[in-house]
Amino acid sequence: MKPFDPVQLATPAFAVLVIAEMVFVRFTGRGRFEVKDTAASLMMGLGSVIVGALFAFLFVGFARLIMPFALFPIGWSWWAVVLCFVADDLRYYWWHRASHRVRWLWADHVNHHSSQHYNLSTALRQPWGGVLALPGLLFLAPLVLLGFPLEMIAFVHGINLVYQFWIHTESIGRFPRAIEAVMNTPSHHRVHHATNARYLDANYAGVFIVWDRMFGTFVAETDEDPPRYGIIGQIASFNPLRIALHGWVSLAGDLIHAKSPREAVLYLFAPPGWSPDGSRETSDSIKARWADVPAE
Amino acid sequence: MNAQLLQLLLSLGEVALMVGLCFALFGRAPAPAAHAFDARLALDVPGLRAGRRAVSGDGRSVLVEDARDGAIYLAVACGDGVVTRRLSRTTRVSRDGERLTLGLKDFTLKRAELTLDDASDWEARLKGPAA
Repeated sequence: MKPFDPVQLATPAFAVLVIAEMVFVRFTGRGRFEVKDTAASLMMGLGSVIVGALFAFLFVGFARLIMPFALFPIGWSWWAVVLCFVADDLRYYWWHRASHRVRWLWADHVNHHSSQHYNLSTALRQPWGGVLALPGLLFLAPLVLLGFPLEMIAFVHGINLVYQFWIHTESIGRFPRAIEAVMNTPSHHRVHHATNARYLDANYAGVFIVWDRMFGTFVAETDEDPPRYGIIGQIASFNPLRIALHGWVSLAGDLIHAKSPREAVLYLFAPPGWSPDGSRETSDSIKARWADVPAE
Repeated sequence: MNAQLLQLLLSLGEVALMVGLCFALFGRAPAPAAHAFDARLALDVPGLRAGRRAVSGDGRSVLVEDARDGAIYLAVACGDGVVTRRLSRTTRVSRDGERLTLGLKDFTLKRAELTLDDASDWEARLKGPAA
């Protein structure tokens, strides 16, 4: 079976759907667009493709390095593709969860969350980390070590990413309960992109929301608390380069000012917002404070 | 011209088309309404008790003092949204008449300019002990 890149194939559809959503939002008001924000997101998407192409050799090189240690020689077959898809989605869940809980990974992933808007163009606001986001490679290892062919992993991951595009929208409400129970949907992913205390660190799923339900990170969207999008400490720029670098610049600044190797390690691996004197807020402290506030 | 460069140019054209359509449909982002600054501050600074407050002449920036501890917060319009920052001693403050310029150690918000009737008061406050 000759693999192809689902993302490359879907790119024209992405453009058509972004345009369709703009028109829909303009005439229904179900969603929000802002020109500078949209431009920044689209340029981030284009830049991410370029950076991805430049550093693809790292992923391939790492996979080839560990391939000789694969447990099973899994070849191309329909069941293997299905199994690989599910396994990759589980891998995505853990990579995504780590990307929100480990500052080093968050420095890259934060870019995807940096818009105060939530529409299909936000799906394309992707990081430019490349070589800086190397620890993310480790999450690739289990699939390679199980014996799935690298081309199959790339193929199913491409499908996973294509699926995730359409859930970045406010234009779609909620699906019937059976679908919302199993699949990641616009409603679930709005929660993931929200900064409301109740929604922080939730719904990491790529395709199947069941992972969040299994591992205790699922939070349902409620009409009483509509999602507010972006990050804690919103950025004040639409410059793609500044957006792409701001997480890294912030991390580098903390590393430079670290007073001990221990502090430096914690700046790298502790959750975003960690500081030696506790003067900054992490998502845990924000949620704890929110939980302490009595309901009105 | 090689294929990759052509693909890049086509992609840039595609982005330009979508941005142009976005502008045609939604126009330039309106400045956030006055209450949006307070709403954002209330979200970003839990328990904030707004004391003295000053709105820049262009309506795009607001300074608010927290009555609890004297901390001063800046809220700035960014597109149709609002971004807030706590101002500290590391903020460089300079004034030219009614124009107050703030230099922040912030990669995405390096500088803010406000035109205030009481700019000298705020300058003193920002350089004072509570900052």
